[in-house]
Amino acid sequence: MQKFLEEGRVLEQQEVARQTHRLRLEAPRMAGAARAGQFFMLQVREGMDPLLRRPFSFHRILPEEGIVEVLYRVVGKGTWWLSRCAPGTPLSLLGPLGNGFELPPIAAGPVVVVAGGIGIAPLQELIQQLLAKGGVGRPADIHLFYGARTGAEQLPENLLEDLGISVYRSTDDGSLGYGGFVTDLLRRVVQEKNLQPSQLYACGPLAMQYHVARWALEHKVPSQLSLESLMACGIGACLGCALPAAQADASSQDHYLHVCKDGPIFGAESIQWHKIQTHGAPPTIFLYS
Amino acid sequence: MAQNPDARGASHDLSVQLGPLRLKNPVMVASGTFGYGEEYADFLDLTALGAVVVKGISLAPRPGNPPPRLVETPAGMINAIGLENVGVDAFLQSKLPYLRDRQVPVIVNIFGNLLEEYAELAARLEGVPGIVALEINISCPNVKSGGMIFGTEPSMAARVVEAVRRATTLPLITKLTPNVTHIGEIAKAAVGAGSDMLSCINTVAAMAVDIFSRRPKLANVFGGLSGPAIKPIALRCTYEVLQAVDCPVIGIGGIANATDALEFLLLGARAVQVGTANFVHPAVTREIIEGMRRFLEVERLGGVEEYIGSLNRECLFPFAEIACEMTDLP
Repeated sequence: MQKFLEEGRVLEQQEVARQTHRLRLEAPRMAGAARAGQFFMLQVREGMDPLLRRPFSFHRILPEEGIVEVLYRVVGKGTWWLSRCAPGTPLSLLGPLGNGFELPPIAAGPVVVVAGGIGIAPLQELIQQLLAKGGVGRPADIHLFYGARTGAEQLPENLLEDLGISVYRSTDDGSLGYGGFVTDLLRRVVQEKNLQPSQLYACGPLAMQYHVARWALEHKVPSQLSLESLMACGIGACLGCALPAAQADASSQDHYLHVCKDGPIFGAESIQWHKIQTHGAPPTIFLYS
Repeated sequence: MAQNPDARGASHDLSVQLGPLRLKNPVMVASGTFGYGEEYADFLDLTALGAVVVKGISLAPRPGNPPPRLVETPAGMINAIGLENVGVDAFLQSKLPYLRDRQVPVIVNIFGNLLEEYAELAARLEGVPGIVALEINISCPNVKSGGMIFGTEPSMAARVVEAVRRATTLPLITKLTPNVTHIGEIAKAAVGAGSDMLSCINTVAAMAVDIFSRRPKLANVFGGLSGPAIKPIALRCTYEVLQAVDCPVIGIGGIANATDALEFLLLGARAVQVGTANFVHPAVTREIIEGMRRFLEVERLGGVEEYIGSLNRECLFPFAEIACEMTDLP
């Protein structure tokens, strides 16, 4: 699959949920080449600060309209600049990158999709693809478990429930749906409904992914988890986006997978979850002016 | 009436003589920023480059440091990759052929924990078709043993270079660290021990912390700063090295456009390596080469050799910005 640079153009920015922005980019070549679960590197601003491109997953891929969409939360310098891009702003895209989701074979049975916060971003396109071509008998056989800190941060019903899929919402503060962790909700619902998922897809914060991975391994459900990392290049050169790989035996030396070229979609079994270190959660107050 | 810059019959020749090497232009890519070349093939014609310096190679494969391995800083980034690489066997078997088949001149950056490892690596690479030179890495700040330890003490630097010199007839480039008090002393030691050329600089030792988690932002705590932020440091180091020794020098550090590259050539560097900028603009080297050619045209220079080392140290030209606008360079 060829990677390329494309000069895109901002069409529209909209705050679709609290602190959650949807960016529509005119980028016809990217829209024609990208697949659900892949990502691209976006230069949010000309100049030297911020220096590096930022990786974003494809929230929607609309080849006929020549548009790709990004869903993002303002968490730092890069997304702050991005949020200030007016319609018409040219932005350089580099992609499509990474492996992308694999859709289940036709009539494989129900699938479970787990989203945490902004992790809904790549899953929206996945759900569209599952509905359009893949593997699931009825829309209601797509079971989306969607958690966030609070209800205001979640995408509205017209983007999810209205697709006819089964949506189970949870919030940390109980303001919408189940009050508690989305992974607890997942355990409950799967047990109550005796769901036999053929496939699990997930994207969200690391703590959620860790519990989702454990659940998938326990229940022997094949899983495809979309992981993220800081990265400089996105094309396998900087080797910055390393994740500790699962090992054949405990005595072998640590080695690493790379989010950009081995992922960003990984099976739960391929990662040593307890060895992942991160910069920590995004700051609750944002010191940048 | 405007004169045709070509009226003098100038060909705007970008080729340079770099010690024993003849390069089609002075623009190389720096080790660790270009993988093994193939990673960039979708974005530019690799044969257009002066040379490719591949990711640092060790005898055995190295897994690298635990993540987080990098952090962005103003006009730069700090990395602590830890020389993750496939090892020399896999390099020769599965990585080198791609570049060799395309006749891209390959410079192999070599790294060892011990003197003997440097020497053994050099011996393994001797006589391998496609390899035009070795770059001895005595300047990586991100590994516990070897690396920068060899590059901060003149006598240690000399011992590494001697060991490699005895093991190979390939042209040798020693890559210097800026994290020393007198870079000229290290330069002299390396050349005295048989290094044909020098490249400078490797990354600048650096650190970043997170005020919320109250932790270092890199698992390795320290890392190496690269990018436009270090260009002035790199220029100063290149200048000092050029004053200390009489061999070809390759300038590295924060080069992101043709103007940056030409600054190093002006000091006397005979070639440059582009590093971090490859991450942001994978085709940046093509633009740099084109920009250099345009510069030669505007300055009516027949070849880049005429420009190298032409720094006038006495006089400060007061209209430099206007000149820059006239040449239409970034």
